[in-house]
Amino acid sequence: MMNRKRDNFFSRFILTIITVITVSLSCSFVHFSHAASSDSSSVHTNNWAVLVCTSRFWFNYRHMANTLSLYRTVKRLGIPDERIILMLADDMACNARNKYPAQVFNNENHRLNLYGDNVEVDYRGYEVTVENFLRVLTGRHENAVPRSKRLLSDEGSHILLYMTGHGGDEFLKFQDADELQSHDLADAVKQMKEKRRFKELLIMVDTCQAATLFSQLHSPGVLAIGSSMKGENSYSHHLDSDVGVSVVDRFTFYTLAFFERLNMYDNASLSSLFSSYNPNLLLSTAYYRTDLYQQQMEKEYVIDFHLSAHQVPVTNFFGSVMETIHTGSAYRGVSGKDSNRAKFEVSSDQSYDRDAKSITTSSDPEKQAVKSGTCPHADLWNMIVEKVQRIKDVDSIVNYGFVGLLTLVAVSTWHSS
Amino acid sequence: MVSTAEIDGQKPKHRPIIRIGIFIIAHSFLVSVVCCTAGVLALLLLPVLAKKTYVSENALMPGSATPMLSDQDVSGATRFMNELTSPKLKSWNMGIELPRLIALHMSNLGGEVNYHKFQTQPNNFHPLYFFTSPDAEANLVNKTCQSYATNTIGIIRAPRGDGKEAIVLVTPYNPVNLTQSEVLSLGIAYSVFSLLTQVSWLAKDIIWLAADSQYGQYNSVAAWLRDYHTPSFGGHGKLHADNCRGASGMHGSKLDMFVETEVSDTFRRAGTMAAAFVIKVANTGEEGEQDSLKIYAEASNGQMPNLDLINVVSYLAVHGQGLRVKVEKLVSLLDSKWLNFIGEMLESVGKIARSLNPQWKFGIPVQEYVEGSATLVSSLYNQAIGVPTGSHGAFRDYQVDAITLEISPKLSSSNKARQTEFLFRGGRLIEGVVRSVNNLLEKFHQSFFLYLLTSSNKFISVGVYMIAFLLLVAPLPVVAASLFSNATSTNPNSQKHTSSSSEPFQSWRWLYPTKTIFLVHLWGAIVSLLPYFIYQIPECQPTSRLLIWASLSIFILAVLRSFFGSSTHLQEWVLLKSVTVSSLFIGLCLMSVINFATAEIGALILVPMCLMIKPWKIAGKAHSAFNLLLLTVGFPGAAFFVVKGAFGVQNGSGLVEFWYWVESLWAWNSATYIYICMVHLPCWVLCICILLHCC
Repeated sequence: MMNRKRDNFFSRFILTIITVITVSLSCSFVHFSHAASSDSSSVHTNNWAVLVCTSRFWFNYRHMANTLSLYRTVKRLGIPDERIILMLADDMACNARNKYPAQVFNNENHRLNLYGDNVEVDYRGYEVTVENFLRVLTGRHENAVPRSKRLLSDEGSHILLYMTGHGGDEFLKFQDADELQSHDLADAVKQMKEKRRFKELLIMVDTCQAATLFSQLHSPGVLAIGSSMKGENSYSHHLDSDVGVSVVDRFTFYTLAFFERLNMYDNASLSSLFSSYNPNLLLSTAYYRTDLYQQQMEKEYVIDFHLSAHQVPVTNFFGSVMETIHTGSAYRGVSGKDSNRAKFEVSSDQSYDRDAKSITTSSDPEKQAVKSGTCPHADLWNMIVEKVQRIKDVDSIVNYGFVGLLTLVAVSTWHSS
Repeated sequence: MVSTAEIDGQKPKHRPIIRIGIFIIAHSFLVSVVCCTAGVLALLLLPVLAKKTYVSENALMPGSATPMLSDQDVSGATRFMNELTSPKLKSWNMGIELPRLIALHMSNLGGEVNYHKFQTQPNNFHPLYFFTSPDAEANLVNKTCQSYATNTIGIIRAPRGDGKEAIVLVTPYNPVNLTQSEVLSLGIAYSVFSLLTQVSWLAKDIIWLAADSQYGQYNSVAAWLRDYHTPSFGGHGKLHADNCRGASGMHGSKLDMFVETEVSDTFRRAGTMAAAFVIKVANTGEEGEQDSLKIYAEASNGQMPNLDLINVVSYLAVHGQGLRVKVEKLVSLLDSKWLNFIGEMLESVGKIARSLNPQWKFGIPVQEYVEGSATLVSSLYNQAIGVPTGSHGAFRDYQVDAITLEISPKLSSSNKARQTEFLFRGGRLIEGVVRSVNNLLEKFHQSFFLYLLTSSNKFISVGVYMIAFLLLVAPLPVVAASLFSNATSTNPNSQKHTSSSSEPFQSWRWLYPTKTIFLVHLWGAIVSLLPYFIYQIPECQPTSRLLIWASLSIFILAVLRSFFGSSTHLQEWVLLKSVTVSSLFIGLCLMSVINFATAEIGALILVPMCLMIKPWKIAGKAHSAFNLLLLTVGFPGAAFFVVKGAFGVQNGSGLVEFWYWVESLWAWNSATYIYICMVHLPCWVLCICILLHCC
């Protein structure tokens, strides 16, 4: 009798423990799933800019001026210096041929000195090589490289990569000796994607035949704007007859002109930037590649991609990410931006999961859905395993466990008595 | 014979390339006629094939900066010129005072100044130093104080430059007899110098060399360059200069007080020279409503400066300053009937071609063709004789790109306003060129070094003009091979009765004529060295020297002839001609590498002569007469007179002029002299031998 009673008690005790643990775990799941979603940085956390001038020599003055103008613009729009990697292959400001020592201008009116006090050049002169450029992108530095020279982006980063120099069919010349080929660039971007170094990447290139440089890109989340199509040249905008060189390229000039009309709180879209390029003024056809970006959108179950690439706000890449900016702009009416943002939050989780499961990135989202639909339990189990693996807050679990034990003891004593 | 039967039997088994070779050799006559005609035609077509020049080096960016030369600079230059021509100065010893005055102004502008005293070198012929640099001769000259001249050098250091490179401006002037045009060129240089001391964009140092040209424009520049490139340790050169200083009595002038502190006798240097510009102003005014600029570029042995340098200058002159740019041309050719006729032919051919297909645009107007040809002929001639056309030639010896800019003002340049405008034009042109070269990062290397000009903005590159030459010389090896095979196939029959012992050496029979040819070439070498000994004879007129030279040459030839051995083999002339032709081929090809223009002209004269030549006993009368004519024209001296007569360049009486011409070839170490004595003359003698051969 007693034995049976005790058996009964024990079986009930164990059952209760199991239920309590399950309940507590599920509670913690709720907690942790919330925590995880904020940890994975699926939201747009910060903006980075990598600005590269690849050509040397005095007669390439305009390339340095291009890069410095863009540097100034992104700084003005809110990216801080520590998130800008500026690479200048030559020092025009201190060139003996410069009529205005230590000054660089991008306009013949000489109103704006681009080489003012607070210009931080991270890579200069012969440091600007293809190797260093790829190291910056992929983050494979030697130990001694200081943090200020590294691209410390994360998976929530939006990166602007601006390059100018002399290019050709599928290459960009560095320093008169090296060259970066389109597959080098594509490979670096792919590595970045795999290392979760960016969420979105905008590549802007101002060279001859710039569009060819993007031909090998396959990574999702990449937008690309080039100054000219294959077989076209990119021309300089005007000559400063005082300094004796061309001071800015057309593509960059009109890009800057677009941004001069904007301030930090503006909400213009990238497509409006793109449509501001007039082929007659550029003397070349600007090229805008959005299919990779849309691919990502589609994957992230946003079928309605009219909202996506066409209305990417330029501040996604050029501005800062302080939330105050967006509250400020919220008064201007409903924009696609916020809805985009919400979608990114949800969707990047999924894409992240897929990455974790190391399913090869197939471009068909429906297939994915079918796949996950066939075996929901396995999926759930995977999720549990993963969540458990990711639990960092062990203390709270122990606490919950203690609380559960105490209640169990209380209930069992009350029951037995 | 067995051998020929064997060859016949093997023929079908040969590889195609050999069969083609045999086919060409079999039709050598047709081949040589076609090739020679094509070669001459290609030469006539060159002005049509000329391409537009373009600035090839990106860094130059000519005309991208606005000229900064101001009124202040020009008025300073005007004051400077007034001082140079002031009557007060005339009373002094000009040879000493002028350099002093220029130095004073240079240092007032802020340049580093020094004098360079140098001694003239007589143009002696030193066969042992023929191809060496001029330094080798420097120590041979004994120094006397009388022949010292003084260059004045002002250097502007680039304020932020690295001091490794320099641009040179040269203004030759004669301090003993200063002409108005020299004053103007000094004024232009002064205005540019005055501007360049103030600008902040210099990356290369600027050297202004006011070259004392009382002993020749070339000599002064060459002497300075020699000292610039051979640093003397221990002040050997300075010692001589100091010795002569007291003797020349340079003291007691008021200017001394100012200059003494700044001007030193230490030889100042800047970096390696990127480019040099010799600035001259033409003596006579040009007809026409524009000032014009004439560019001289030829240096010794037909070397040319990089085409980019000429492009930059002509671009800036035309687009910047509105000057008319000219290149030297043979004016007498402009009216020649046959050239006009060819031009008309080409124009009509071009028109017909265009009517057939509008995209064929190779016809050019008659006027353009004739002018292009005149310029081309002048360019060829200047390159061929290998004598530099100005003091820029001295720079080329040190691999510095240099040209002479001769600016000629339009008529009535006497009034004041006109002179100021002229100074502005010239100064701004030089400033633009200096600024463009200042942008340069490396030596000139992008554009062509081997080219012929047909106008200031059209050129023929080496790839095009070589075709004409190659077509001319292509028949030579073919004819040599065909003659040789003829000789080996026919001779055994004729020689069967003479000796059977020589049969094993049949294929080596060409060694006999080779011996003859070797002796003749040896004679050529001796002839080329004779002038050295003739110069040892004191007190001799040019005409008598020439006659001594000729008679000695003939005497030596007669002596050597005894070594020729009597011509036992009567049929040997075929082999002799074959070997002559092949040696000519080798000589011309070698010469084309050294100096293309010489080889081209030489080929025009020698190739028909060598191909046509035949013993007069075998050839018909007309053929012999034609051969005789070719031989007369082919003699180097005769060729000289024919060329002179054809192009109407006549100055001085015949023999004396010829002697001076040859003398100038020695003086400038021209490879053309070597070519004439070692290739042309032996070839001519051999042709005479063949003509007189008794069969």
